[in-house]
Amino acid sequence: MFWTVTLSLLEGTAAAAELFFLTLIFALPLGLVVSFGSMSKWAPFARMKANIPAWLRTFRPVSLVVRTVVWVFRGTPLMLQLLIIYYGPGLLWNNNVWGSGTGGRMFAAVVAFILNYACYFSEIYRGGIESVPRGQYEAGLVLGMTRRQIFFRVTLLQMIKRIVPPMSNEIITLVKDTSLARIIAVTEIIKVGENFMRKGMIWPLFYTGVFYLVFVGVLTLLFGWIEKKLDYFK
Amino acid sequence: MAVLEVQHLEKRFGATRVLEDIGFSLEKGRALAILGSSGSGKTTLLRCLNFLETPNGGRILVNGNCIFDAADPATQRENEVRKKRLHFGMVFQAFHLFPQYTALENVTLAATLLAQERGASRDELAAIRDEGLELLRTMGLADRAQHYPHQLSGGQQQRVAIARALSLKPDILCFDEPTSALDPELTGEVLRVIRSLAERETTMIIVTHEMAFARDVADEAIFMDGGRIVEQGAARQVIEDPQNERTRRFLARYAAGGSD
Ligand SMILES: Nc1ncnc2c1ncn2[C@@H]1O[C@H](COP(=O)(O)OP(=O)(O)O)[C@@H](O)[C@H]1O
Ligand SMILES: [Mg+2]
Repeated sequence: MFWTVTLSLLEGTAAAAELFFLTLIFALPLGLVVSFGSMSKWAPFARMKANIPAWLRTFRPVSLVVRTVVWVFRGTPLMLQLLIIYYGPGLLWNNNVWGSGTGGRMFAAVVAFILNYACYFSEIYRGGIESVPRGQYEAGLVLGMTRRQIFFRVTLLQMIKRIVPPMSNEIITLVKDTSLARIIAVTEIIKVGENFMRKGMIWPLFYTGVFYLVFVGVLTLLFGWIEKKLDYFK
Repeated sequence: MAVLEVQHLEKRFGATRVLEDIGFSLEKGRALAILGSSGSGKTTLLRCLNFLETPNGGRILVNGNCIFDAADPATQRENEVRKKRLHFGMVFQAFHLFPQYTALENVTLAATLLAQERGASRDELAAIRDEGLELLRTMGLADRAQHYPHQLSGGQQQRVAIARALSLKPDILCFDEPTSALDPELTGEVLRVIRSLAERETTMIIVTHEMAFARDVADEAIFMDGGRIVEQGAARQVIEDPQNERTRRFLARYAAGGSD
């Protein structure tokens, strides 16, 4: 019995890991794009000659739209987002864009997770970028460096160093959040444990915890190693 | 001919006029001290010269060429501004060293990037490294080349910053209160370095509150108040025998040991 349960839980782990890694691969870069959007200073009316109200001069449309989207994704439960993203198209337009079966459910879950986590990551990036003193940028400028060179050669590593601790928190939360995908019937770890519980076995449910602990344990070691690597400067 | 000539420079932040009708010129190999109480516009002036701020009026000429003219947007294109910045070196009050690079890497980074852009050879890159080491040696930091900024004292960090500012061989080196962020016992080593640069005829503009130092090291001095130049002349004369009432009051406060 133990091996049957272990094998089933490993299958659940594979699904959870798939969701986890796909989310990371897409949400990490997307989050950076989102953070640039929320920091956008583009203000189309700033230099207008006409007599317009002051608030319109400081109106930054890109930043406003992006910040609103981030607010919605961070301000509502991921579980709700999963339900709406998976069932929404079918119920609203009678068109299940996700395709049928396991693949379709995983696809929808991955999309929901990427959107949600990109928003969380974007705020971490923003904090990281804004915490690098402006003097670093100016020191680069007076040395004739381009914006691009300053970003990649000066700012980026300082930013990474600052975001590793909050990022590792968020990524560990992601490991556990994968269990939410069972709301749209993705068979991840907890779902497997639940199935055994329905057959009257409680211990597999406790056993699921071990899989998360191992997963998170490995990540903790990895992040500890990265922090150490970046310890050489302050 | 003057290396630097500034004509009718003007800078506003919104409705506040921070620089008004600033004009002076500087001969090659000379050092100019800029004096004035806090808020008089000294930092803004240096920032305008380094294209960190865009003046609202006036012209800046280097070696007789107009590199900035507020009335001519063609002189303000981002691409060219980048090259024009290289006429000036800048040493900030707070050093602004790059923390993830060693002292040597701080000094060689910009030169290395420029060299790579024009596809420099291995030998050229090695030469940049040697020049960086030589610069650190003249700053008395030969044994600190491989140290990271956080492993250096404030005085050492500022000397690395001076070496970094010199690495691209600017025509004019600007200092913005280079010792103001330092503990008193560390100002001496930085002032000594600047003094030795003056002895080697480096063209410099030094914003400082160290009056004795300015008097001894600078050739000329400008006293600023409220964004205007109220007195300019030979450094010794401006500091020891000021003609303007405001300059006198300002210097009297320093002589009495006060600060702004
Ligand atoms: N970015 C800015 N925006 C608005 N006001 C500024 C800015 N930078 C400087 N100022 C103002 O300009 C004046 C001169 O400042 P600054 O050049 O730093 O003087 P100093 O270096 O002589 O102390 C001050 O009144 C300061 O408040
Ligand atoms: Mg200042």
